[in-house]
Amino acid sequence: MNTSKAKSSEGLDWIAITQKIGTPVASVILAILIGSFIMWVSGYNPVAAFSALYQGSFGSPKAFGDTLLRSTPLILAGLGLAYGFKANLFNIGAEGQLFMGGLAAAALGLALAGQPWYLAIPLLLIAAMLAGAAWAFIPAILKARIGAHEVITTMMFTYIARYVVSWLVVGPLKDPGQIPQTRLLPVESQLPRIQSLFSDATLQAMPFLKFGRAHMGILVALIAAVVLWLVLKYTTLGYENRAVGFNPFAAETGGISVQWTTVKSLCISGALAGLAGAVEVMGVHHRLFDQFSSGFGFTGIAVALLAKNHPLAVIPAALLFGAMSAGAGTMQLVADVPQKIILIVQALVIFFVAAEGIITYFLKQRQKEVPSHVG
Amino acid sequence: MDSKRIKIISVVLALMLLVAFVPGCAAKTDETPADSGTETPEVTIKAAMVTDVGGLGDKSFNDGAYSGLQRAESELGVEIKVLESKEITDYESNIDQLANAGYSPIFAVGFLMTDTVAKMAVDFPDTQFGGVDEWFETVPANVVGLNFKEEEGSYLAGVVAGLATKDSFDSKLNKDNVIGFVGGMDIPLIQKFEAGFIAGAKSVNPDVKVISLYAGNFTDQAKGKELGYSLIEQKADVIYAAAGQVGLGTVEACKDKGALFIGVDVDQYETVANSGDVMLTSMIKRVDNAVFETIKAVVDGTFPGGTIQVFGLAEEGVGLAPFHDFETKIPQAIKDAVEKARTDITAGTITVPTAP
Repeated sequence: MNTSKAKSSEGLDWIAITQKIGTPVASVILAILIGSFIMWVSGYNPVAAFSALYQGSFGSPKAFGDTLLRSTPLILAGLGLAYGFKANLFNIGAEGQLFMGGLAAAALGLALAGQPWYLAIPLLLIAAMLAGAAWAFIPAILKARIGAHEVITTMMFTYIARYVVSWLVVGPLKDPGQIPQTRLLPVESQLPRIQSLFSDATLQAMPFLKFGRAHMGILVALIAAVVLWLVLKYTTLGYENRAVGFNPFAAETGGISVQWTTVKSLCISGALAGLAGAVEVMGVHHRLFDQFSSGFGFTGIAVALLAKNHPLAVIPAALLFGAMSAGAGTMQLVADVPQKIILIVQALVIFFVAAEGIITYFLKQRQKEVPSHVG
Repeated sequence: MDSKRIKIISVVLALMLLVAFVPGCAAKTDETPADSGTETPEVTIKAAMVTDVGGLGDKSFNDGAYSGLQRAESELGVEIKVLESKEITDYESNIDQLANAGYSPIFAVGFLMTDTVAKMAVDFPDTQFGGVDEWFETVPANVVGLNFKEEEGSYLAGVVAGLATKDSFDSKLNKDNVIGFVGGMDIPLIQKFEAGFIAGAKSVNPDVKVISLYAGNFTDQAKGKELGYSLIEQKADVIYAAAGQVGLGTVEACKDKGALFIGVDVDQYETVANSGDVMLTSMIKRVDNAVFETIKAVVDGTFPGGTIQVFGLAEEGVGLAPFHDFETKIPQAIKDAVEKARTDITAGTITVPTAP
């Protein structure tokens, strides 16, 4: 949000932008360097490891498709978190909203069997957004009315959501088989794979379109990113969200209802997390089971941090995490590096992004002492 | 929005991640095979496995399958590879990469991979798959489902528990004739453990009261501890847990409040630190044997594709671990009863129920 403010003074613009982009990039590079060092110390070849990681994430259309597949829920969850962060709301319970979104999509998808896709898919996506928003609504009201901290309440709601889903897939929604999961969604409710949209002949002629498992959820995620960016930049809703995050007292004085904005912000955050759950159910697993999300709501926090809460920057940040996840298998296969190493690199990225925040915080503190500077 | 609070929280989170992952990695490094030394240019069999999200070091069936692979490497000279999964999404890409790299057979560990195996079996008709704990409606011709008669092993555990609770060879045993069962998810697979346990206990102690509690998942150790406390409060003095990591919490409860524990899947005396004073025995699932036998069948050219293989007591697919610290304390009568039950089940004179 500093960039938009800095627009007025042209000289600062460049510095602000380089700073914005430069620090996350530097964090990633530092993380890779330290990760390499750890690999080297543990007796693995870091060059082989990272080239395998690249091969497995961007090396072929199929690998890139795998990266897209894994980035899709991260983009959506990251967007939701970024929107909350902008209003200074730490929606740590995105995972729970994601579960409710997945549940809504699965339950409605099974109920809508026989409906055409152009009816089923939008309805499922909307239902998932509503479910995610509803799951964020109670913590939001508690925050707005009695000041209950959203970190605690949303986290607790995550447990409830997980247990509700766990109970439903063992009980009422269970597939008759051995495994605790719902039945498969009807084809009309599934998000098709990108490569299935092209004919075999087209794929033969243009093999770079063979995106493997990547599905149309990525389109949903990209649209969501652009819409959220426009909302934050050009609408009153977005302005209020930013204003409350920037200074709630000033916002209140300026006639913005902080309480109402808090509720809206958390609900939008929840809606996007719910959407992340829906694309995972509709695009990847085509059914619901209790482990369908691998902590996307939590990884989304890292994505939003790395993107510095900019909706468009969430896309490359999510791609980075998606690529690391997609390439981990190849890294194990080709370079014999255990998958846990990649988790260390991910943790280092988060660490340096956060550490960078500390540095700028101290810099700002010092600046404040000299001139009266407000971003 | 750059607030101090978020910064602090994020730093704490990052540190938590770092602290959590570094030891995990350190432990992992020595477990990875010292690079593929056997470089025979001949058509060697390349066997591989994909772990479920528990990964290696779960001290349970992922590690069990891995030791089966290792045994095949040393005894049969096959090349081996393990791909660990961190996310459910990894299952398909890991199997896909292994199949593309020419690995066969590929073992997929855990029932959550059932769908994926069925799908990949179609994509790679020339690759052989082994699905540990996987049950297929119609088994593809290049797939073998590896399942276990957990109820039979649990029956033996039940015999031990049923007799122990009447006895007083340890100060933690009371006079209330109550034993407990902790399950992971309330699904048919886990109900097999419960059913066998109850049947075994009742066979030697018809009046015993068995209380069963389910955690709802396989990971929440705090929940396991809570369930353990709850069982002990209800006077249970021997607790059997078939609940993955949840059981580790139950061990803690047993140590805290004084009850005996029966482990599951592997000999948990070996894998759970400082549990000797409560670890009566463990019901072991010989995933290693199942994996090894399947690789051996591939080497011999007798891969039983298209079938479900069920490993019971007779096939040494399940069994009971040694009593370890209780070896000398336990009355001979209990050991004899276990042996009798074992022979009866193997001979087919006892059929163990699979649902409680």
